[in-house]
Amino acid sequence: MVFKTLLRNIKMNTNGWLFISLIGVAVILLPVFSIFVSLFAEPNENWEHIKQYMLTNYILQSVGLMLFTGILTVMIGVTLAWLIAAYDFPLKRFFHWALVLPLSIPPYIAAYTYSAMLSYTGVVQTALRSTFGFTPDQKWFDIMSFPGAVFIFTLFLYPYVYMLTRSFLERQSGSYVENAILLGRKPVSIFFRIVLPISQPAIIGSLMLVIFEVISDYGVTSYFGIQTISTAIFQTWFGMYDVDTALRLSAWMMAGVLGLFLIERMLRYNRKYSASTSKSSQLVPKRLKGFSSFAALFFCGAVFACSFLIPVIQLIVWSYWTYEDVLTVAFFELTINTLFVAAIATGMIMFLAVVVANVARLQPNRFGTVLSKLMVSGYSLPGAIIAIGVLTFFIALDERMEFVYLLFGYEDAPLLLSMSLVMLIVAYVVRFMATGYNAVEAGFEKVGMVYTHASRTLGYGITRTFFKVDLFLIKGALMGGTILTFVEIIKELPMALLLRPFNFETLSTKTYQYASDERVIEAAIPSLFIITVSVISVLLFHQLGKKMEK
Amino acid sequence: MSFVNIQEVSYTYTSKQPPILNKVTFSIDQGEIVGILGPSGSGKSTLLRLIAGLGTPDRGMISIADQVVVDGQTFVAPEDRGVGMVFQDYALFPHLNVEKNIEFGLHRMSRTERKARLDEMIELVQLQEFRKRYPHELSGGQQQRVALARALAPKPSLLLMDEPFSNLDTELRSSIRDELSAILRKAKMTCLLVTHDYQDVKAICNSEITL
Repeated sequence: MVFKTLLRNIKMNTNGWLFISLIGVAVILLPVFSIFVSLFAEPNENWEHIKQYMLTNYILQSVGLMLFTGILTVMIGVTLAWLIAAYDFPLKRFFHWALVLPLSIPPYIAAYTYSAMLSYTGVVQTALRSTFGFTPDQKWFDIMSFPGAVFIFTLFLYPYVYMLTRSFLERQSGSYVENAILLGRKPVSIFFRIVLPISQPAIIGSLMLVIFEVISDYGVTSYFGIQTISTAIFQTWFGMYDVDTALRLSAWMMAGVLGLFLIERMLRYNRKYSASTSKSSQLVPKRLKGFSSFAALFFCGAVFACSFLIPVIQLIVWSYWTYEDVLTVAFFELTINTLFVAAIATGMIMFLAVVVANVARLQPNRFGTVLSKLMVSGYSLPGAIIAIGVLTFFIALDERMEFVYLLFGYEDAPLLLSMSLVMLIVAYVVRFMATGYNAVEAGFEKVGMVYTHASRTLGYGITRTFFKVDLFLIKGALMGGTILTFVEIIKELPMALLLRPFNFETLSTKTYQYASDERVIEAAIPSLFIITVSVISVLLFHQLGKKMEK
Repeated sequence: MSFVNIQEVSYTYTSKQPPILNKVTFSIDQGEIVGILGPSGSGKSTLLRLIAGLGTPDRGMISIADQVVVDGQTFVAPEDRGVGMVFQDYALFPHLNVEKNIEFGLHRMSRTERKARLDEMIELVQLQEFRKRYPHELSGGQQQRVALARALAPKPSLLLMDEPFSNLDTELRSSIRDELSAILRKAKMTCLLVTHDYQDVKAICNSEITL
């Protein structure tokens, strides 16, 4: 009887949707799996060398970057969030959304731009020399250093902290803050004794996003010559063509990521208090006057100028200088390349996201939960790890497929798959599945099950119900997810560098190439293109967020 | 044999809680209108969902028109059970107008049959002037009638109604109650109606079950 019931349950839930979902999850888990398998192979000399002399340094540099960037982004992000949420001052409505804009500038582009601006021939030093006749010490402007990297990461990643903390404060903190005021607390004391502790979950959540961006980074650190685990993975692969060692480094890094997750969990579960009132209460902003109003305006303005306005203006000027050389047929081609790859990967992501999210919601049991957790797991893996995992998998696959290739008349067993775009697309799918999936899942959650149930009782199966009902209801979420995913892919650098086929350039790899050839100025146009597309998505996201809050 | 048979049906939401339905057994004859009464949280709606196939009981058997739709080894998908349902908040598809909503379940009919059935249903629930309106352009009572027409249109062998009056104000409630009673009897429907209001049962049902 138990067996028959089990059989019934399996039959009940087995359909095309489930099969596609299982394939989707397999793709997502593929890089992790191939890295895990590689650990059983004998380590080679390179690895022994790295382990003995360099690994400690890589780890220290990576941890250092995460630590300092983490502290600074929280300081700036939370301060801005509190200013915007709790006070009224001139231009506040503008800063409310404008302070999110730096997210649209990928840190590697910011790094190239700032280092060129601050170089001997850059605008800052030239102006000092020609206007004031003053030649400053080069050391003052050495941004290509560890503190320089922290500066860049902080300026361009703080919006994560700002965005999440601000929306939390705006919606949740009203009654606590009002009570504190009634109890006679001064603003500074309210900030440290109320605001910081209650927004802890939002801060920790956004801090994790910042930290994942930092460990995943390759563009900034490699350009500034900082040795992190990510750059080491690249060097062992690009410099020594030693995939085994790259895999071992990836395994170490993965252990680190896992550790971070555990720490986040602990921080979440260790909270000794939770909201005493479930009712959300809006914070009513207080009007600032005189000096404090000016100070708030100045602070927001300074952050906005450094993290968006100045680099963008500089890029526009450079674009004007170089457009005749850069805007060629080749540039047009690589733009098409970029859009093409991004469109294919986004299409696959959204397709799998919709299928899996639908399966997960139709099976509100442990299976469904595990399915959706696995689907989004790729986002926490740094690009370098995914790239190496995908690479080893496809090389192994090509070796296995040798006889098939021979059968079709290819000689010398070519590396068909590992030389093609397939690898890069798979890597994008793994890394950015979470972006699309979360959007679709949120859409389904908002709609609920009732329309689906109504359609089922009116005689439609799962698939027809999806096309006749569900699809219309999640249209908005689907669109938002598509745009966000598309933009993330266009911005991505490390995986594109590692996995693109020979002679295939995207906007981001071209930007990187210009920069590493000391032709930063020519990188301005591809950079601006990436930034423009991202700004559109950031604004859209902001708009969507506002709608959701309503 | 009765038309609908519910035998020892049990259902638990999570293993930590006691079962919300514990060995529920009853039967309904053809053409009978049965009211299920009980306070909120007593599992009334859950029972309807299990009969419709929107959930699977832990234990027990349900048969409709001599066909077992669920037991230890069988599960008939909701779309194949021939059961119509009126949901508590009506669940009218927001992207379809009144006509399209009512027509939704008629996909197995030919075009002419479909048109005839649609006209018939619209006349039954008196919504001739509202055919092209969208759900958000209708009052609560009108929405309820659309939901009823939509559920009845495919000629289900059994109609399930989950708190059909809960979204209506008191004045509307009594007039719609009488209207519904007339419509159901006219259509000779076998019907299971969930409510927490005894007045509903008194006005519409032949018999009642308390959970």
